[in-house]
Amino acid sequence: MRPLTARRLALICAALGAMLFVAVVISLRMGAYPISIPEIVMTLLNRVIGRRNEIPPDFWNVVYEIRLPRIALGILVGASLSTAGAGFQALLRNPLADPYVLGVSSGAALGAIISLAIAPQTAGMIQFAAFAGAGGTIAAVYFLGRRGGHVDTATLLLAGIVAVSFLSAVIMFLMTTLPGHEFRGMAFWLMGDLASPPPISSHWLYLLLVIGVGSIYTTSADLNLILTGEQEARHLGVNVNRVKIVVYVAASLLTGLAVSVSGAIGYVGLLVPHLMRMMFGSDYRLLIPTSALGGAILIVLADLLARTVVAPTELPVGAMTALVGAPVFIYLMRRRVR
Amino acid sequence: MSSAGSGAAPGLAATPGTAIVRLKVEQASYAHLATDRSAPTFTLGPVSFEAQGQELVAILGPNASGKSTLLTLLAGLHKPLSGRIEVDGNEVSQLELRARAQRIALVQQESELLFPLRVWEYVLQGRYPYQRRLRFESDEDCLFAGNALAQVGADLLRDRWMDQLSGGEKQRVILARALAQQPSLLLLDEPTQHLDIGGKVELLRRLRRLADGHRYAVMVVTHELDLASEFCDRVVLLHKGRCLRVGTPAEVYERALLEEVFEAPLEVEMRPNGRPRVILQGS
Amino acid sequence: MKRAGWDNAIRITIILALFSSAAQASVDREPARKNNAQSPMTSRDRIVTDDVGRQVKMPAEVSRIVTLAPNLTEIVYALGLADKLAGDTNECDSPPAAKLKPHVGEPQNPSLEAIVALHPDLVLATTSINRVETADALERLGIAVYTSDGEAQTVLGILDSIARMADLMLAKTKGADLVAQMRRRLDELHTRLEDRPMVHVLFVVWLDPLTTIGQNTFIADALRWAGAESVVLSKQNWPQISIEEVVRLQPDYIVFAGTHQESGATELADLRARPVWRDLDAVQMGHVVNLSEEGIRPSPGLVDAIEQLAREVHPEVFTARNQDPIPTALQAREEAMLCVR
Repeated sequence: MRPLTARRLALICAALGAMLFVAVVISLRMGAYPISIPEIVMTLLNRVIGRRNEIPPDFWNVVYEIRLPRIALGILVGASLSTAGAGFQALLRNPLADPYVLGVSSGAALGAIISLAIAPQTAGMIQFAAFAGAGGTIAAVYFLGRRGGHVDTATLLLAGIVAVSFLSAVIMFLMTTLPGHEFRGMAFWLMGDLASPPPISSHWLYLLLVIGVGSIYTTSADLNLILTGEQEARHLGVNVNRVKIVVYVAASLLTGLAVSVSGAIGYVGLLVPHLMRMMFGSDYRLLIPTSALGGAILIVLADLLARTVVAPTELPVGAMTALVGAPVFIYLMRRRVR
Repeated sequence: MSSAGSGAAPGLAATPGTAIVRLKVEQASYAHLATDRSAPTFTLGPVSFEAQGQELVAILGPNASGKSTLLTLLAGLHKPLSGRIEVDGNEVSQLELRARAQRIALVQQESELLFPLRVWEYVLQGRYPYQRRLRFESDEDCLFAGNALAQVGADLLRDRWMDQLSGGEKQRVILARALAQQPSLLLLDEPTQHLDIGGKVELLRRLRRLADGHRYAVMVVTHELDLASEFCDRVVLLHKGRCLRVGTPAEVYERALLEEVFEAPLEVEMRPNGRPRVILQGS
Repeated sequence: MKRAGWDNAIRITIILALFSSAAQASVDREPARKNNAQSPMTSRDRIVTDDVGRQVKMPAEVSRIVTLAPNLTEIVYALGLADKLAGDTNECDSPPAAKLKPHVGEPQNPSLEAIVALHPDLVLATTSINRVETADALERLGIAVYTSDGEAQTVLGILDSIARMADLMLAKTKGADLVAQMRRRLDELHTRLEDRPMVHVLFVVWLDPLTTIGQNTFIADALRWAGAESVVLSKQNWPQISIEEVVRLQPDYIVFAGTHQESGATELADLRARPVWRDLDAVQMGHVVNLSEEGIRPSPGLVDAIEQLAREVHPEVFTARNQDPIPTALQAREEAMLCVR
């Protein structure tokens, strides 16, 4: 018997944190513009100690305006999607659940397309509209998914599936009938793209990330029990309905956040929790933090590949996660067939 | 931990007054509102009985007699429309979730497990009602879980994966999780359903031993007349939502009564050990 | 005894919070221009408003240009500014020399770092291919980016746009000459075709699904300059129609763009093999025209394409009888180069 202890949790998180740090360093180093590690370190240090004016403008641009924002966004998106995926897998009692199954990304895409049609040249509009679309879908699916005042898992899943098909149809309709505009931006957005920085300061986004991951974390012990059966969990003292609501809202918000700033990057929310389960077990008290960290590492590395593998062409990061994710998923599926 | 395998009357606290009343049901009644208007509502009650520590009590009756409804009332899932249900003196439906889970453990047909889980992880979950939020399991928790596994004879299964267990092994583990809750009242809902005769007997023997050796009350919902008669101290007989009789098997198993309740031709034979045997009439 | 669990949870949260603040501190939006070692703003610097309303701070000297779309590259070459072109996209293939310039990626998603590495004074973008996010990002990096309106609805509008860009790149005279020359050719064409009836054409952007052009596109306007009219009237820019509609409309000519002139024969052969298409009047008579893809961009090459189309659909006007032969596209371009120099 080797139960999870705080010490083990801290050690594993520290190890993953170190891996994330290494991924960030590698990602900072690589790119079209030639800059060496000492130059990067100099750029970082000079800013920290206040000697901003001594940094060559190109270095400043490359490090602080191009690479670091992308990496930071990648961490945000990777952590959000993975945690949301783990949450949805528990909420919906379905190992195949990913963050998009309840329609959040479809709602965001609809918001994006409407904003592209109405105000294509307004900076930042697309992200706000996407988040609004995501929020609307979250609320609608929630209300459709209730039965007798409680969140019913099967009904919720059905409501989500209906939402996805309906919204996809509306998007398809709009894309073929709205006059005049080419939805080039949509293609990138639908595939997942980290090159567009969000319109509001990252402080808020990171705060939302911490709140979202933190909320789900507080229910992690409950989720462990719920996964052995809702009735059983109730008899053990879990407030099942409250937990479901918390997880639903938090996971949906995290998904909406990620999708609004970077489009729908696939496979991360589905695969990272499974990978972490394979490595560290199914205890959600460990799974939530490791999924967050693992997702961040994955996206940072995927984005690095997307930027460098066929330079100067930049692939959308969603294409990279799909290319790598699909074979990994098949491998995982085959392993499960014991 | 005396064995009561022979079926002799169990060692209840011989002197009255030292037996602790774990469960007290007083005139409890409930009505199920059917969702379909054309179906009649189902009423249960009023029911009254007591269960003491170290007692093994059967809630006996055919299908649709109200056994499950009574169980949900005992487990605190619904509030009775009238009357009281108390465990250790606390009104069950008013207990807060964790407090209730610390007193009442319910063993039902288990749901499918989605992700791989080890036996000890599963049993350790029984300690949830005692854990503070965001804390991890203490050494004490591990001790109780280990003891629970030992009590059901599943010690050696500790490190196995749950989905690799046989039906009987799984049931023992589920029971262990319930025991890890350290309940005052252990409820089992038709636990012998999928077992063969050997399994049924083994389970009831185990429950008998557990009841004898600990201070909680064990209640089993069943329709198995023979098992109830052989192993239980007392029987609560239900029929179409009404509680017809409460007492020892000898007191409850009256031929006319049983024939009416189970709608089958029966004969009741008293055996020397004081436990009645029910015989089916073929023709 | 189990305070340890809670304490460690707090420690983890603090570490995460520190990490995130370090990350977010790095994303502070400091205007990079403060650190730009390029010439500080002088009275000779200009603020220009581009076609989408962005205020572009233009440097005094424009000696390094990066283009983000093929038609823009063509314009730069046509203005004789090839040696100032520091980089273009990997789709810029006309003229062929453009393929040898340093590339910054694709028009939709160019590599910002590659652009920065080229130290451009000016980056040219267009709304028809480039994304607003790219222009925003470049602006934030302190690089002057001018976005032209690629959704021009008329050919003359394109000429204006070229003139504006020439101004921008301090090549006003060259621009005026180029535009005047293009205008002259168009007017000549107009005179020749004045009393000819409009030929009805179907302009095919894509065969599967069958996509054509709407009334409000510059291509529709270009067709008119060539004495042709699109049979499809639609407010959408790239309407999809069904083949039934084509059968009903029976255009006189079918025009393709995007194949090279050498493989023109294959297009006709393909259509002759396709069911329904092969029974169209235009296909039966061999009235299938192939314009090069470079020709239908909003750039100087458009005039060549218009002339080529006019020649194909109004052949009777161009046989040399009592008129001087109209110069071929090649001769016209050579003339243009001479003027510009």
